[in-house]
Amino acid sequence: MLSYALRRLLGLVPVLMAVVLLTFATNHMTPGDPVGTMLGDQSANVVLAAKLRAEYGLDQPLWTQFTGYVYGLAVGDFGLSYRFVGVKVTDVIWDGLKISPVLALAGTAVAVPLGLIVGVFAALRRNTLADTGVILALTAGISVPNFAMAAYLVYLFSIQLAVLPVAGWGTFSQAILPVGILAIAPAAYIARLSRTYMLEVLQQDYIRTARAKGLRERLVIYRHALRNTLVPLLTTIGIIFGGLLSGTFVIETVFNIPGLGRLAIQSIFARDYPVTMAIVLLFTGFYTLINLAVDLLYGIVDPRIRLGSR
Amino acid sequence: MSYRGSWRGIGLAVGMLAAMATAAEAQPVFKTNIIADPAMVDPITYSEIIAGRVMDKVYEGFSANTAEGKIVPALATEWKANDNATVWRFTLRKGVKMHSGREFTAKDVKYTFEQLLTPGNKAGLNSAYLSSVAGAKDMKDGKATELAGFTAVDSHTIEVRFNEPEVLFPIYPFYLMDSGTVAESGADWATKVSAGTGPFKFNSWKRGVEVKIDAHKDYWGGAPTIGGVQFLIVPAADTALSMYEAGELHFALLADSLARRIITDPKYKDQVVQAARAQINYLGMNQNLYAPFKDKRVREAVSLALDRPAMMKGLWGGTALPLNGQVTPGVAGYNPGLPELKYDPERAKKLLAEAGYPGGKGLPPIEIVSTEPSKDELAYYANQFKRVLGWDVSVKIAERATHIRQMNAGEVAFFPWGWTAGYPDAMYYLSQVWYSKSPYNRSRWSNAEFDKVIDKARTVSNADERYKLYNEAEKILMAEWGTAPLPILSNIALRKPNVKNVTMTPFGYSDFNKITIN
Repeated sequence: MLSYALRRLLGLVPVLMAVVLLTFATNHMTPGDPVGTMLGDQSANVVLAAKLRAEYGLDQPLWTQFTGYVYGLAVGDFGLSYRFVGVKVTDVIWDGLKISPVLALAGTAVAVPLGLIVGVFAALRRNTLADTGVILALTAGISVPNFAMAAYLVYLFSIQLAVLPVAGWGTFSQAILPVGILAIAPAAYIARLSRTYMLEVLQQDYIRTARAKGLRERLVIYRHALRNTLVPLLTTIGIIFGGLLSGTFVIETVFNIPGLGRLAIQSIFARDYPVTMAIVLLFTGFYTLINLAVDLLYGIVDPRIRLGSR
Repeated sequence: MSYRGSWRGIGLAVGMLAAMATAAEAQPVFKTNIIADPAMVDPITYSEIIAGRVMDKVYEGFSANTAEGKIVPALATEWKANDNATVWRFTLRKGVKMHSGREFTAKDVKYTFEQLLTPGNKAGLNSAYLSSVAGAKDMKDGKATELAGFTAVDSHTIEVRFNEPEVLFPIYPFYLMDSGTVAESGADWATKVSAGTGPFKFNSWKRGVEVKIDAHKDYWGGAPTIGGVQFLIVPAADTALSMYEAGELHFALLADSLARRIITDPKYKDQVVQAARAQINYLGMNQNLYAPFKDKRVREAVSLALDRPAMMKGLWGGTALPLNGQVTPGVAGYNPGLPELKYDPERAKKLLAEAGYPGGKGLPPIEIVSTEPSKDELAYYANQFKRVLGWDVSVKIAERATHIRQMNAGEVAFFPWGWTAGYPDAMYYLSQVWYSKSPYNRSRWSNAEFDKVIDKARTVSNADERYKLYNEAEKILMAEWGTAPLPILSNIALRKPNVKNVTMTPFGYSDFNKITIN
């Protein structure tokens, strides 16, 4: 298991290298010029432009810039931000790094139990009015885009009822709306999956056996059925966490949360290449690590899956 | 006074101080929004508009401009030039207490200038204002460590010498800083302490969240009435509006997209604050690239074919204001007496026929180019020129940076564009956009007469005489139809009814010194 984990971690290196190359290339090939953006109205000032270009190494050939960047990464130096004068990329990102994972974790923590409860509830009342109602609500939850939902809920809770703040980050009340909205779609997704898995598990022979030996229905459901429903859900939860981590762009912008998502958008528009690339790299790293964690967890939860230990 | 009496006196004084401290705490904090982080809060590297919104309240220059565009003394009380404006003598204001508690003197001016010119300092916009000071080049090239053209006559009198006439020097918006700060607080002082003289001192900047400034009680112009200002960083326009609605902002700057909706909503009627932007707009007609533009009658016809009131209503929903020349209100040298630009399709057709293009026949097709946010505007022009003049104009949307590069290179034949004033004097517009040798003369309009008037204005240090020359130059530009001026946009904000004494000016926020919040 350990050697498997190590091998997988090593496998991360080429993935990250590819991402570095890709983001570097796209950043430098999209039209627009960071020096032009820095100069604003002074864009015809060739002296100032040349000075800035030299200061940021943008006058070097692309290949030299790239090797310099990769070397910097190897020693943990992401360079200087193009937008914030004299500020290191790591400093710019650090503030967001303290927020986005928390937001994603909170979203997952709300979505998983909520989804499970609703899904199991629907499965146990299969083909009743309650089941249909739940499915309808779930479809709506997946379909309504989160920015529309955000606009509506902000209007309701912050402006009409004035019980929750509109935006910001730092207090519990500021977290309620964004976390709640982030959780809706994944919760609905988990609910639908767990309903399906639950129905599948309930058809299994061991459930019939459990019932046949006179086990109480509650025990049948919670001890036997639910546990086995959780295994296939594990991958989904990993993907959802990864998705939430890198998918908070909209919510962070709408709720004015200074996380990585909002920072990424601002950096892209300001052509702050170093910050943009660092965020993309971070997200790639997160995503692959989460996938790795899910694979490893599989081995623990389901002994039938052995990970390269043979 | 007996000992007992003096103790009582001290007790009373302590009590009063405590009472004052509570009163100070009770002073409200004014909350407003900015759309992004400032790129810096350092007066030396200062180079962009959002940073300016904050730093304008913290730092000051020799003079300031009022909401009406009048130049008034700030850190200098008087200034006088020699006959050809190559030497300026400033009398600095006495008794100005900086945020550090030290007194502002000539030393601080010298320090600021030299910092702006020191290589490796990443100096921003304000360094450009020093380019013609004697010895500035040597400093920039690293050949000198002191500015030769600067003389401190005494602690409150300075003299600045120039290589050429420099009539605008007193109005350049310098951010003069405390010469003792860097030695005291280190190179990264800017995010830790405040080094200005302004009515507010820098308190803190939480990147992505807010910038806070506090009232400077010892401000030479009197202590501000509010305790401080919180600039909340809100990139999303709709979020800013929601925050305003929910009372989380006292004063909300509105994005253009939102302003159009707000200004027509009766709900906000008494809360809207509007000021024409210090930004000229114009249609660039490059004669080198499109031969028919060489004919003055064609250029006039272009202007006559535009229905400006309809544009202001339809394209900008009431957020635009008319512009009849190329100087905006609120900028010194503005001429309110210019004739209104008329919409006259008949005369436009007639002029075009006289120029040899009856009904647009013989006019080669042309592209009108701008960036994505102007797409509706472009569509209007194309349609209007076809309808009124019978002229085939197609629309092209260009990527911003590429477009600017091409305009700078004089490679765009026909485009609507704007130019924002960096300081409140018409020289900025006229000498940069319409003077033939300016790198920002993007339509390459060139008129010897115009250039001559501007050249002359550059040597006239008497402001009123200079303004007359601006008016003269602007008249030449308009009589020649060097351009078709376009309506100017406005800065629009919402202000809560309980907030008083703050508004928008052509350059952004008005003073915050006298704000009251009930």
